[in-house]
Amino acid sequence: MQTSHIQHLYWRAGFGILPNQLFNLKNLTRQEVVDQLFTESESVKKISVDLSELKGIKNPLELRKNKELRLKIVEFNKKKGVELNKVWVTEIANNKAQLRERMTLFWANHFVCQESNAMHIQQFINVLRVNALGNFGEFVKAVSKKAAMIKYLNAKQNRKSKPNENFARELMELFTLGVGNYTEEDIKQSARAFTGYNHNFRGDFVLRRLQHDYGQKTFFGQTGDFDGDNIIDIILEQKQCARFICEKIYRYFVNENIVKQHINEMVSVFYGDYDISKLMRFVFLQDWFYDEKNIGTKIKSPIDFLVGVHRTIPLKFKGERDLMKLQHLLGQVLLRPPNVAGWKGGSSWIDVNTIMVRLRMASLLVNHAQIPHKEKGDFNDAFRKYYFKKNKKKLPFKVEANWDAFFSNYGHYSNATLQQNLLNTKLNNGTEAFLRSLNKSSLRDYCIQLMSLPEYQMC
Amino acid sequence: MDRRKFIKNSALASSVVLVPSFVKALDNTSFRTRGFKRLVIVQLTGGNDGLNSIIPYTNDFYYKARPSLAIDSDIIRMNDTLGLHQSLQPLERLWDDGHLCIINNVGYPNPNRSHFRSMDIWQSASDSDVYLQNGWIGRYLDKYGKKPYNAIEVNEALSLAMKGSYKNGIATKDYRVLYNTSRDPFLNKIVEHYNDTHLSEHNLGYLYKTFIEAKSSAKYIYEETKVKLGTAEYPSHNFGKQLKTTAQFINSGLDTSIYYTSLDGFDTHASQANRQKRLLDIYAKGIEAFVDDLKSQDTFRDTLILTFSEFGRRVAQNAANGTDHGTANNVFIIGENLKTQGFYNDLVSLEDLDENGDLKYEIDFRRIYATILKKWLEADDDLILNGAFQTLDFI
Repeated sequence: MQTSHIQHLYWRAGFGILPNQLFNLKNLTRQEVVDQLFTESESVKKISVDLSELKGIKNPLELRKNKELRLKIVEFNKKKGVELNKVWVTEIANNKAQLRERMTLFWANHFVCQESNAMHIQQFINVLRVNALGNFGEFVKAVSKKAAMIKYLNAKQNRKSKPNENFARELMELFTLGVGNYTEEDIKQSARAFTGYNHNFRGDFVLRRLQHDYGQKTFFGQTGDFDGDNIIDIILEQKQCARFICEKIYRYFVNENIVKQHINEMVSVFYGDYDISKLMRFVFLQDWFYDEKNIGTKIKSPIDFLVGVHRTIPLKFKGERDLMKLQHLLGQVLLRPPNVAGWKGGSSWIDVNTIMVRLRMASLLVNHAQIPHKEKGDFNDAFRKYYFKKNKKKLPFKVEANWDAFFSNYGHYSNATLQQNLLNTKLNNGTEAFLRSLNKSSLRDYCIQLMSLPEYQMC
Repeated sequence: MDRRKFIKNSALASSVVLVPSFVKALDNTSFRTRGFKRLVIVQLTGGNDGLNSIIPYTNDFYYKARPSLAIDSDIIRMNDTLGLHQSLQPLERLWDDGHLCIINNVGYPNPNRSHFRSMDIWQSASDSDVYLQNGWIGRYLDKYGKKPYNAIEVNEALSLAMKGSYKNGIATKDYRVLYNTSRDPFLNKIVEHYNDTHLSEHNLGYLYKTFIEAKSSAKYIYEETKVKLGTAEYPSHNFGKQLKTTAQFINSGLDTSIYYTSLDGFDTHASQANRQKRLLDIYAKGIEAFVDDLKSQDTFRDTLILTFSEFGRRVAQNAANGTDHGTANNVFIIGENLKTQGFYNDLVSLEDLDENGDLKYEIDFRRIYATILKKWLEADDDLILNGAFQTLDFI
């Protein structure tokens, strides 16, 4: 398989690929490379932080009575929320199951949810991880019963006597069918089927029978005493559901601009058994996936960007919150979606602030905010010194860059290989000429320079 | 800044780097042609307790609901029923000068008590069940903005309020750092060599274009901002610095209509009294210095300051001498040309609360936005707010 194609696959289905890894794959066929990608992602590694303080609460009523304990738990949850964010990002960067990490991140922006209880967040992340490559129908059902989601979309307040339509609406609008593919009556009827959904303190699903509406509901032309799972089954019968998901996957993994023919092909693979693995395997095996117009044309999300830097030059942050601060500056904090629709992605990642942050970020993280700059014969670095002196103490993060790891991965490769490995896109002509003019005596400097290019933002 | 200088500067910017023509085209007109009015937004993040800021000191229900948290001394009485928290004392002078208008009971239907969501609602000016990806200032920029610096957020990152569908404001906590960051010699070279016009249509071209725009904005702000203006003493808190920087920008005559600042920490679930006292002190002293600063350069008359919080707090206190998330709250309008001075309206009943024990709102916050957009910024309020909201009478 062509190296540029392997690299493309690994950036879209994972978070980049190291030169050694690439070297090992290039004599394999596309089928073999894709098979390996899936094999590596077969196992599920759940995320787990120490929640004993929360789990240690035997009687949840204690919390209601004891304000001091309640406040302690609020603080605990805040702290653990930060930790969960960090653990998750670290897994994305280090886990061998790259496809599973990629799919989990994709679904996290599909089944958008925000929650403060750390135990419920952890459970929700793990439902995403477990189902990321599984059956879509089972996935939706599992999500509908997670405490975090039950709270986030007010399913908890959805009672027979006073239905709350929030979950029913978002289920169809955002999770399965897309806006305009159902009626207001469908929402009303299906909301009744989800009445009584609740959870206990541990986060287990509980159906409150007294609040559940056992009456007849008519939904998409079918009538019966439907519960939530029945409603999801009926939704899955709609071909539009498969189409909606395929379009979203295409926009994320292939190209923002949809090609109808490709979607039709995907729908015929997906509709029916709703096997996510099967669908993704199909996509990654198609010639059109490797079409030139799909390679290196996507703007990396902040997480893609951060993880990408980290996979090339492993970083160790000193402050607990540093990683979260970085995400904030870049415009995407995991577990803190902007709203129920999630991040818009694409060009919306970039504005006049975030572009500046992005171009300076690599140098900030690994080189005291300096982008090495010496053209052939140009040794005037007064500005550099000035900038360094002035800002040395102001660096907002304490981070250690593991250059030894970088050299063990890249040290025996040429500048050209490094460039190929870090940049997925065709370079702007002027930039290419400028890069040629650089004195590339240091692989380390060249790495930082490449990471400071607009081209590095593409995958 | 005068127009000639603006043209000179942008010409300079264009000659230093090989700026593609589409960027130059944007330089042609000054945003300023729309008048000289400026709006400064102060966001009190976390949900300021309005009832302990503007205190209903004669109201029995207030004292009953807050046995250990109600304030009963050192109140600055403004009328027969309402008084200021002692930390807000600097606002008394503004009140006496007729430069302060306090609007009570501001909120929106079906209030959301989540910080994130309610803040989004305020910033995007949406209904509580509508999710917008852009903010009200952002939509103002979409329609009238020419440059990112037409709206500046004096902070690290851009709030939703400042993001439009096509245009965004610019965020800068320290404009010198922004400038230094933008003129990194390596990146200068990259922009200098940017000559592939074919790229401009694509994502990569968009990145280059946005960076060029960022550079020219950073340069503009840096070069236009005069360093030694004003002698006002600001509180030595980040919020004080934000206001000081804002005053510097305004007094330097930047082509900026909207400034966005914020003060965080108002989420007082426990031990509220001291915390709120300290925060309101920072707020009020900051505002006092800010107004003095502007007055010294005669720019106060063209400036309107809007202070809001994402929600007020529950009427009843909790067991930890704090308050939980509530709904309607007061909004402060500060400016020289106020039509209504002092209280715009009375506080709603503390007896007739909603099912959570929260205040029922009386004035939709979007009516305040509509008023400012229409009467102050002379903008199409219906368009920007995605609907018609009856204006108020404070300006």
